[in-house]
Amino acid sequence: MATVGERVSGLDSLRGTTPAKPHDARAIAALAANPGCARRALMDGAGVDKDAAARHLGFPAPFGQSPFAITRGNAFEALVKADGCAELLRLLRDVLRLPIDEVAYQDVQNVGAHLRHAHTRTLFDRAARGEQGTLYDHPLLSLKIAGHTAFLEPDVVAFQHGGRFHIVEIKSFAVIDGQADPASVSAAARQAAVYVLALRTLLEELGHDPLLVAHDVVLVCPENFANRPMATLVDVRRQLAVLKRQLARMTSIDRLLAELPEGVSFDLLPGEDGAPTRSAEALAEAIQQVSARYAPDCLSTCDLCFFCRDEARRDGASDQLGRQVRDELGGVATVEEALALADGLREPAPGQEEIARLLRDAERLRRECLA
Amino acid sequence: MSDDLDALERRIDLLRAQVRTAARAREAALARELRGQLRKAERAWDTLVSAPPQVAARPGEQEGRVAVPVRERVHRALTLLGVPAAGRLVVSVHDAFFAEPLRSSQLTTLRRDEERTFRRSPYARPHYVCAALTDRLTPARGLLAVSTWPQERRVVGPLSPRVDFLVATVQVAACAGRLDDPSPAARRLLARMARNVPDAGSGFGEPDPERVAVAARAELAVHLEADTRQRAELAQRAAAQLDEVACLFGAATLSDVARKGACA
Amino acid sequence: MSILTSLARLRAIKEGVAQPIATVRHCHLGRRPMVFVPLRLSGEAAAPLAVMLGTDRDAPELLVVAQPRNRDLRFAFTAELARVLLPYVESFLGQSETVEKKNADPYQRALDAPQLLLPNPSGVAFTRLLGRSTRFRRPDGPYPVPAEVPLLGRWLTYFAERAAHPGSSLTLAATEELGRHWASGQSGLEDANLAALLGWISPPPGRTGPQAAQEAEDPLIWPPAGPATDPGFDAEVLAPAIESGTVERVTEALRTQLAPTWRLMWQAVDLLRALPEGASVATRWESDRGSFSMMAEQVAEGAPPQARRDGAVAAASRLSRMERAQAAFEVQRAYDDPLVMAEYRLTGEAFAGEVIETDPEHTEGEGRSRKLRPVVLVKTDDPVRLSPGATLGTPDRRGQAAQLVDVSDGLVTLKITKGMGRGRTPAPGSVPEPGERVCYTSLTDDFQGSAALPDRDATPWTHGGPPQEYVPNDEDAQEEWA
Repeated sequence: MATVGERVSGLDSLRGTTPAKPHDARAIAALAANPGCARRALMDGAGVDKDAAARHLGFPAPFGQSPFAITRGNAFEALVKADGCAELLRLLRDVLRLPIDEVAYQDVQNVGAHLRHAHTRTLFDRAARGEQGTLYDHPLLSLKIAGHTAFLEPDVVAFQHGGRFHIVEIKSFAVIDGQADPASVSAAARQAAVYVLALRTLLEELGHDPLLVAHDVVLVCPENFANRPMATLVDVRRQLAVLKRQLARMTSIDRLLAELPEGVSFDLLPGEDGAPTRSAEALAEAIQQVSARYAPDCLSTCDLCFFCRDEARRDGASDQLGRQVRDELGGVATVEEALALADGLREPAPGQEEIARLLRDAERLRRECLA
Repeated sequence: MSDDLDALERRIDLLRAQVRTAARAREAALARELRGQLRKAERAWDTLVSAPPQVAARPGEQEGRVAVPVRERVHRALTLLGVPAAGRLVVSVHDAFFAEPLRSSQLTTLRRDEERTFRRSPYARPHYVCAALTDRLTPARGLLAVSTWPQERRVVGPLSPRVDFLVATVQVAACAGRLDDPSPAARRLLARMARNVPDAGSGFGEPDPERVAVAARAELAVHLEADTRQRAELAQRAAAQLDEVACLFGAATLSDVARKGACA
Repeated sequence: MSILTSLARLRAIKEGVAQPIATVRHCHLGRRPMVFVPLRLSGEAAAPLAVMLGTDRDAPELLVVAQPRNRDLRFAFTAELARVLLPYVESFLGQSETVEKKNADPYQRALDAPQLLLPNPSGVAFTRLLGRSTRFRRPDGPYPVPAEVPLLGRWLTYFAERAAHPGSSLTLAATEELGRHWASGQSGLEDANLAALLGWISPPPGRTGPQAAQEAEDPLIWPPAGPATDPGFDAEVLAPAIESGTVERVTEALRTQLAPTWRLMWQAVDLLRALPEGASVATRWESDRGSFSMMAEQVAEGAPPQARRDGAVAAASRLSRMERAQAAFEVQRAYDDPLVMAEYRLTGEAFAGEVIETDPEHTEGEGRSRKLRPVVLVKTDDPVRLSPGATLGTPDRRGQAAQLVDVSDGLVTLKITKGMGRGRTPAPGSVPEPGERVCYTSLTDDFQGSAALPDRDATPWTHGGPPQEYVPNDEDAQEEWA
C-alpha cells in the first residue's frame, strides 16, 4: 500500500499545474453520493476543479444560485445573529436548556483570515478546559481529505458549560406547519455532519474527548411565512457514519491511482490569465481513461454530470435511464443489447434467460396492443 | 433620444437571435461573447430609458428645510440606545422614534468617513460616530459607537453583546413607554426585542414597556458585574496601548497595538 | 416503473422519439381548463413573483409582483389573482343535478367543474403554499387584506389537495400526465422538465427527440417551467429590472420566462386531447364534480378554512380514502386500456387469448338453485399465474365475474359466475363466442368499504383524544408575512 505521501504526490501530479480547488462542507458531504464512481473519486481526491473542467469540456454544470436566494440566506443569518445573537440565544435556551448566564459571544471573524484557524483552536481548547464561552461565530475548522486540508466554516458553534459543543446550522428554507422540504433538511444534515466530524477531530488533536461534540445539531430555519427563526435538533449520526465510511474509502484511491495508465493528467494547463490552455479533446480523452458511474442523480450533485451523461448516451448505456430501469433490466448494460434480446435477435447469455424472456414477452404485448 | 432607442432595440433583437443561434450550435465561447454584448446593449437601453430629467429633491429636503445629516441621525439613535449597536438596530431605532428616514445603505461608509474627518482635524467636531473595540483592540465588525462615550463603553468583551442588547431593550422600552401612541415601527421594534428577553411577555399581545424593562433589567443583573470588570480591563489596555485615533476607530492590525506600546 | 415501460424507454432512445405507454387518455380534460403557470421568488417559500393564467390560449393574463419583497404588493397580487380565479371557479356553480343515493340525503352536484392545469408537481406544491399563506388572512384587524384573498387561499388549498387524490382531474400537472401516457428516452428525473419531455414526445420538424430535449435544458432557449426561475435570469435580467423600479420592465422580463411555458402547456393539452378518453374517466370526473360541489357548499355555509394540520382521525381516514382511490385508479386504468392491462398479463395476473370452445348452457345445482354457469375455454400465450378458484373480471363484459377452473399448457378453463341473469339460456352476446379475443384478470374494482375508524369525538387517547374543533384564531390571521 502506498504511503500517504506517495498518494498525495500521485494525486497532485494528476491535477498538474492547475491550483487545487479547496473542498467546502457541501463538497465533502457530496463525496458520500455515488461512492462507486472512480472518476469522481480521483478528481475529488486530486482537488481538481470539476466545475472549471466541465466548462472547458463544453459541458458546464447546470448549477447556479440566484442572487435573491443568496441575499435571503445572508439576511436570515444576520437576523438570527443580530443584537448579540438575541434570537439564537432565545432558541438555544429553549432547545438546549441553556442557562441564563451562558451568553458569552466570540466573533472569530474579528481576527485576520490567516489567524482564524489558530484562534479557533485556542478558543475551543479553552472552552473544553472549562473556561466560560458560549457562542462562537464563524469559527474555522479543518479536515484532511485525501491528504489535502479542507477548511470549513460552520455558522455558529454553541458550547454549554460542563456540557457539549453543538454545531448550529442556519438555513433560510422555511418550516411550514412543522414541515420542511425533506431534500433541504437532509442536505443540511449532511453538511452539519462534516462540521461535527471536523470539530471532533480538532478536540481529539487537542487531547480532549471528541464526544464532547454532540451528534445533535441545531438547525435554525424561518418558521412559516414570517422571518421568525425556529430551532430543531437534528440527529446526524447516520450522516456521520456514511461520511466516515466514505472518507475511509478515499484510501482506495491508491488502487485507482495504480490502475491509471502512465502519464494521464487532468491538468487544465492554466495560462497567465488562469484560462485553460489545454485542448478540450485532450482533457476529455484523459478523463475518459477513468471510468465513471453515471446515474441521473448525478445531475443534482456533480459538476461533471453533463459530460458523463453525454458519454453514457453515446455509449448507449442503460444507466442513462436511471438505476431503477437498469435494475429492472437485470444487468443488461446497453440499449442495443436489451432491444436485441426483446426482438429475439440475440441469444441470451448464460444468466440472461429470465430477463430475455420478460423482454420478449413485453415486446410481444406492446406490439399486440399498439397494432 | 428615441432614434437611439430604436437603434438599440434593433440591435438587442439581433443580438438575442445571435445568442440563441450560438447556444444552439453549442458555440459556448461565441455565445458568451454575444451575451456580453447583449448585456451592454441592454444596459445602454436602460440608461436611456430610465435617465431622470433632473435629480429630484428627496422628501424632507423640500420646503426649504435642511435635512439632518446622516451622521447626526446615527448619533441621535446611538445616544438613545446608550450602547454600541449594529447598523441594523440603529436604523430600526431611528425608524421607530424619529421622523426622517435612514437607510442601512447610508451607513456602509460612515465609520470610514468619520475616521478620515477625525484624522484631518482631530476633535474639530463635538462628537464622531466611531467603532467599538474587540478584546484584541481591533474594531468590532459592524458595531457603531459615539466618540464621547467613556472608553469602557466603547469596548466589547464576550458578555457585552448580550449586556448591550439588554440595555438597548431597557432604553427602547423607556422611550416607547413615554409615548402615548408609539409608531407601528416602535411597536414592532419593542415586540421584537421583548421576544428575546425571558419573561418580557410573549405571544401576540402587545408587550408592556414597563414589564419589558423589568425583565431586561433582571437578566442584566446576572451579567453586569462580570461584563463591567472585563470592559474596564479592556479599556485600560486600550488607553495604554493605542493612540487617540486607534482608541476611537480601533487598531487596524496587531502591529498598531505594538507601535504605541513601543513608543510608550 | 415496469419492464413494459422500461422497454418503451429503450425503444424511445432507439427511435429518437417518445413511445406511447397508453392507448387512451386516463385523465379528464375539461372544455375550459384554466392553465396556471406560477413563478416564485428564489430563496423564499411562498413569495409569488408572477403567474400567467387563463382559459384562452390566445389571451393569457399575466400578473406580476414588481417588488416581491413588498408585502403590500404581494397581497395586491393575490387579490388580483382572486379576481381572475374566483369568477372562473364560481362560473361552474350555476348548473347542477340532483343526485339521489340509497341511504343518503340527495345532494346537488355541479354539471361541470373547474380544472387547473399546472406545468409540474412543484407548481402544485407552490400552489398549496400560496393557499396556506393566504387562507387565514382576514379582511379586518391589524393586517387587513381584500375579502377575496382568504377565499382564494381556500380554493388554492383545495385544488392542491385534490392533486394528491389518485385519479382526480381537478388539478393536473402536465409533466405527470404526459409521463403517464408516453415514455421518453430519458430518466424520470429529466422528465420533470416540461420542455424536455415535450421535446421527446413531439420534437419540432427537423429535430430528433433527444436533440429537442437537450435544447430544452438551455434556460436561454427554454426558461424553466417554474415555479423556480433560472438563476442566470435572476442575476442578469430580473434583479436589475426590479432595481430599476419600473413595473413594465419587470413585467416584460417575466413575460419572456412565462410565455414559452404557456405555449408548451397548450401543446400538452392538444396532445392529451388527441387521445380518446378512457371508459372510466367520466366516472372519476363525476366524483370530482361531487367533491367540488361539496367544497363550494362548505364555503357558502361559512365553514372555517382548512386546518393547518389534520387531526388523528381525519388523517387516518384521508389516508385510507387515498389508498382506496389509488387501488381503484389502477384497476380502472387496466380495464380501460389494453396497454396498461398488458402490465398485468406480463406478471401473470391477467391473460388474453382466443376463445376456442364454450358450453354456454352449462348449469350447476339442482331444482330451484340450478344456475347458469357457462364454461369458456381460452387459448393464451400469456404466462398465467392464477390458481383454480380465483375470481376473474373482464374489461369486455364489466358486469360479469368468472371463476378460474383450470390452467394447463396455455389453455384456461373458466366459468362465468356472475351477471348471467336468471334465464335458462344466456342472453345473446353475454357469453363469448369461439374465435372471440377475450381478456380476464384477477384485478377487480369492488373494494371493501372504508376502514372502520372511530368518530372524531371518540379519538382514542393514544392519538391525542378528541381534537378540539378547529377555529382559526388571531394568531393565524396575524401571522407575519415577511
